Amino acid sequence: MGAFCLEERDFGPFVEALRQATRVVGPVAKGNKFVFDELASVEDLRLDYDVTILPPKKVFFPTRQEVVRFDAEAVTDCIDPVDTVLLGVHPYDMRGIDMTDLLFRERNEDWNYLAQREATTIVASNVRTVAPRAFWASMIEGRAPQGHDAMLTNIDGGYVLEVRTPRGEALLAYGNFREATLDEVEAAERVDLEAFTQCQEQLPYSAAAVAEKVREAFGNEELWDRLSKDCFGCGSCNIVCPTCYCFDVRDMWNIDQATGQRTRYWDACLTREFAAVTQAGGLKENFREHHQSRFRHRFMRKAAYQFEKLGGPACTGCGRCSAACTIDIADPVRVITAIMEA
Amino acid sequence: MTDVTTSHECECGHTKNIFMPREAKIIRTSRPTASEKHITLQLADHSPLEFEPGQILEVGVMGYGEIPIGLASSPTRTHSFDIVVRTVGRVTTAINSKEVGDSLWIRGPLGNGFDLDALRGHDILIVAGGIGLCPTRSLIQYITDRRDEFGHFTLFYGARDPLQLLFTEDRFDWRSSPFVDYHETVDRADFTWTGNVGVIPQLFKKTTNIGPDTRVIVCGPPVMFRFVLSELDKLGVPHENVFVDLERRMKCGVGKCGHCQINDKYCCIDGPVFSVAETNELEEAI
Repeated sequence: MGAFCLEERDFGPFVEALRQATRVVGPVAKGNKFVFDELASVEDLRLDYDVTILPPKKVFFPTRQEVVRFDAEAVTDCIDPVDTVLLGVHPYDMRGIDMTDLLFRERNEDWNYLAQREATTIVASNVRTVAPRAFWASMIEGRAPQGHDAMLTNIDGGYVLEVRTPRGEALLAYGNFREATLDEVEAAERVDLEAFTQCQEQLPYSAAAVAEKVREAFGNEELWDRLSKDCFGCGSCNIVCPTCYCFDVRDMWNIDQATGQRTRYWDACLTREFAAVTQAGGLKENFREHHQSRFRHRFMRKAAYQFEKLGGPACTGCGRCSAACTIDIADPVRVITAIMEA
Repeated sequence: MTDVTTSHECECGHTKNIFMPREAKIIRTSRPTASEKHITLQLADHSPLEFEPGQILEVGVMGYGEIPIGLASSPTRTHSFDIVVRTVGRVTTAINSKEVGDSLWIRGPLGNGFDLDALRGHDILIVAGGIGLCPTRSLIQYITDRRDEFGHFTLFYGARDPLQLLFTEDRFDWRSSPFVDYHETVDRADFTWTGNVGVIPQLFKKTTNIGPDTRVIVCGPPVMFRFVLSELDKLGVPHENVFVDLERRMKCGVGKCGHCQINDKYCCIDGPVFSVAETNELEEAI
C-alpha cells in the first residue's frame, strides 16, 4: 500500500500525536534492559533496543488476565479491549505474534486474546542492535512476518514507513509523511537486510530436517539426560518465549469475600507440577515426572509437535531463552545442534 | 483511531468468551462411597445438555476453580445429566460440599467422545477400573437404551475393594439384565464379599464372547491399560478396535492452556477418547 517517509525531526511529533490519540506501547529502558510498556513520553521510546525481557505478545496475552468475574448471582464477561498502537516490534517478534495469532484462533477462537489483538495496530521496526544470543536470521528466512500493519525502518536522516494495511495507512494522518522516493525505499531494504548478517549464532539446518530428527530422538534417553542434566525446572525459558502460550487458571476472591475473578496466568511446562493431577489420598499422577521428560517436551513442542500447524518451528530465534537460562542449557542452537549431530 | 472491535460478541449479544460457564442446578445427590459424590444436574435455563458419551465437562464452583470430568449419564436421558466427583483437592471438595438446589458452573460438552459409528453393529466390551466406570457409564446407558443398535455387550468392572464399588443400583440391574453380560471383581475382598477376587484382566476367563471384531473401551488407572491390552492382544483384537479414555491435567478444556498435551494432541479436544492404534503413535500417552 505504499512507502512513506518521515524526516528525523518529524518523528517525535508523530509519536506524540499518536500518543495523544491513543494508547501507544513500545520498547522502553528498564535498568540496563528493555521492556514493552505504555509510552509515557516520546523520549522513553527506545527503537535502538536489542531485545526486550518479555516478548510483545503480553499486550494481547498479559501475564495475568481476568477471564470472567463473578458474584453471588452471576458470572460476567470481562473482555474489554483497549485501542492500542504497538510500536517497534522487531521482525522475529512479529513472527512470534503471527504464531500466537494462529494458535489462539485455531479450532476454538480465544477472544480473550483476539479482541485485544484486533484492537491493536502493529508497527514493526528494523533491528538496529542485534542481541548477543540472537539467531533469528536463520529462523526467519522464507517465513516473512505477516501480521503487522506497517514496517518502520530507520534510514539516514529519517524513517521509511511501509504501509501494509488500511490500519497502517490510518497512521499517516498523525505525522508529516510524504511518499518515499525509490532511493529511500531501497535504503530501507538495505538497512533491514544488513541486520541479518549480524546475528552471532546460527542454526544452519532446514526446519523440516530438524523436526524429523528431533522427533526421532524422542526415545534417546541418554541424549535427553545429558542435555537436561542441570535443569532445575524454573521455567524461565518458557516465560520469556514469544511462542509459549500455556497458562494456568485460578479463582481469586476479592476482599469482600462475595465477588471475585477467574484469572489466567502464564504457566511453564518445565515446572514440576505442570502435568500432574491430584488423586485420592493426596497422591499425584505426574504425566511428566522427570525433569528430563519436561525438558524434552519443550523441544518436541518447539521443533516437532507444532511444525505442521505453524508451517515451521515454534521458535523465532530471539535468543531470549538462551539468555534467561541461569545455567545456560536452554539455548536452542546448542540443543538442536547436539540432536542433529547425535 | 480505529474502531475497537466488538467481534467477541455474537450478533445476538452473547459473548464468545470460551471461559464463560453456564449455571447448572443440582437436582439429586448420593454418596456411593466415602469419597465420591454422585451429582445429577439440570441446566438452570432448563434446556437439555446435548453431548456424546465420553465427552467431558469443565465443572466448577466460582471462587474455587474448575475440574475436567467425564459425563456419567447417557444423552439418551435428556431430563438431566450426571457426574461423579471424587474428593481429592480444593475444587472437588468445594463441588462435593454442594447440595440439592445449589448451583455448579459448567463449560462444555468438550472433546471427542466415543465414536458411536465405529461401535454400532459390533460386539462391545467395556473394561472399567475404579472411577473409570463413571465416564463409561454414559456409554453403558446409551447401549442399554438403544440395545438393538449393538451386538453382544460385555461389561467388566473392577474396584480396589467392595467399599469402592460405584452405582449399586446399576450393578444390581446389570447382574440380572439380559442386555449385558456383566462381570465384576475386587482386588481385595472383605467378609461381605462373595464375588470374584483379583485384578480386572482375570475377568477375561469368564467369557468367550470377545473376538477380533469386538470393539473394546478401556477406562481406568494407567497401570490397568497395559494388562488389559495384553489380554486383548492374546484374543487377537486389533488396536484400531480398542479405545481408551485418557485422563490428564486440564485447565481450559479448549486446546489452549497446554496442560493436557500428549505429543502433538490435546487430550481435551483431540480426546479424551483415542484408539490404541492412535496412542501407539503418541509417546507418553499410556
